[in-house]
Amino acid sequence: MEKVLMKEIAFARSGDKGDVCNVGIMAKSKNIYEFLARSLTPEKIKKHYKGMIKGAVEIYPMPNIECIEVVLRQSLGGGATCTLRFDQTGKSMCMAMLRMEMEVDESLVKEARKRDEEIQKKYGS
Amino acid sequence: MKSVKIGSGSAFWGDIFEPALEMAQRSDVQYIGFDHLAELTMALLNRMKSKNPEAGYIPDIIPWMKTLLPVTMPKGIKMITDAGGANPIQAAREVVKIAKGLKYKGMKIGVVYGDDILSDLDSIRQNGWIFKNLDTGEEDINRIRKDIIAANAYIGADLITKELRNGADVVITGRASDNALYVGPLMHEFGWDFSDKYIDRVGAAVTVGHIIECSACVTGGMSNMWKVSKRPWEIGFPIAEVFENGDAVITKTPNSGGIVNEWTVKEHLIYEVMDPSNYMMPDGIADFTSLKLKEEGPDRVKVTGMRGKGRPETLKVCIGYRDGFIGEGLAFFPWPDALEKAKWADKWVRERFNRLGVKFDDFRIDYMGVNMLHGEAAPMEDKDYNEVGIRIVGKTKTYDEADAIRREATHLWTMGPVGVSFGVPMSVRPVVALWPTLVPRDAVKIESQLMEV
Repeated sequence: MEKVLMKEIAFARSGDKGDVCNVGIMAKSKNIYEFLARSLTPEKIKKHYKGMIKGAVEIYPMPNIECIEVVLRQSLGGGATCTLRFDQTGKSMCMAMLRMEMEVDESLVKEARKRDEEIQKKYGS
Repeated sequence: MKSVKIGSGSAFWGDIFEPALEMAQRSDVQYIGFDHLAELTMALLNRMKSKNPEAGYIPDIIPWMKTLLPVTMPKGIKMITDAGGANPIQAAREVVKIAKGLKYKGMKIGVVYGDDILSDLDSIRQNGWIFKNLDTGEEDINRIRKDIIAANAYIGADLITKELRNGADVVITGRASDNALYVGPLMHEFGWDFSDKYIDRVGAAVTVGHIIECSACVTGGMSNMWKVSKRPWEIGFPIAEVFENGDAVITKTPNSGGIVNEWTVKEHLIYEVMDPSNYMMPDGIADFTSLKLKEEGPDRVKVTGMRGKGRPETLKVCIGYRDGFIGEGLAFFPWPDALEKAKWADKWVRERFNRLGVKFDDFRIDYMGVNMLHGEAAPMEDKDYNEVGIRIVGKTKTYDEADAIRREATHLWTMGPVGVSFGVPMSVRPVVALWPTLVPRDAVKIESQLMEV
């Protein structure tokens, strides 16, 4: 097992709908998706954001595209137009998610690195 | 198999213009959709209209149409835009004027309106409907009734489709759902309707609309692929080639910058979605958990297996209401002891506000470069930062109290620790808060008409 930040094994993007922030997580491989789907819980996520989420946390798996949708209710200080947060629309919340420390099998870390290299090779040149 | 090509030319008021023009010039799209309205743009446009009955639409429509029509008209590209905002009829009249000037005799402009339900709120309530707040669960709008300044339903594609059938070259709407700007042309071209027979087809149209409606956000903007996006300063906007069987290919303007790959499509499929198996739009509920993605080639992603679940009986409504003021101020502290200086300033302004008796509904101080974005979730590192900014922000009931926040922040510039740096003071802004809610579909009387040049 290896301790890594979620950023090593997944991509993410977030946005808003009123006072709800949604964080979509894209696993870098099928096995990583399965690991994330198994290990992420609303309690864990709420705790990770240390008091930023006032409402409920919901998790929706999307196995067809190896993604996980996380919905954070009452998490944007009232919503874009009345929040005092600089990040009014929660665009940076996804990167906060990727700070999560996770204990994963070394093979998954290898798969993630391989995917990063593939992306660089396939699209980067 | 029949296919239709539809592109996205704008995702918000202020989006860049060249990608729409380049799409019209270089690609073989048949339709371009333009979204210009954010959640509260309607409140702003209502204010413009109350000052001038001939205003209240997105003013950009005038220069955009002047430049685009000479390209789209000869090629037969049709444009669908929600730039009508709070005054779609006036927006259409302006486009008629432009078309006359360009000598497009016979050109047709469809106008769709009726999304504004501000004057109907009370009669809808009298019929027993409750405008429950979808965010907070608060039961009804009594508390905010007198402060409401906008109430717009997100209308669907019904009448966009109708005006396209009537031969419209351009369709201008009020607060249509962004999604409907794309669903409308697809339903029109393929003859899909809201019957059970076409539930999955309309679901596919809703899904495709979602994928392309935020323009650059699926072609390498706001992207995890930012390091591998090509010539991002020449970013191309997305185009969907949709097939009669409900499959689609997502691509972008030929020879443009940016990137479309399985990751950019995925990151948009998960963007601003709640339950992905019930993505609810006025024209249908799409299920994003059945579809499959496959890269077909450079900047081409095939989407198959899209599904739908029929259209909801209610429409989403955004009610905007006046809710006090926000005052804000900034100052920056340099090395050495930058964080310590910021903490000193934090205490200083709080003491000042106590002394002045300024009352806040809400107040916060951020350390820029330390915790402004990730707040409590950011680890506070104990190190000697190169620089730290302080952002002081509060929400108040009155303009004067909000202005006190701004003013005290500027006082910090001369009374703060050595090295404090500053720039332009920020202005107080009135807050229009949002009350997201639902309304029965049949309580919204949408209408349309066709203007001919």
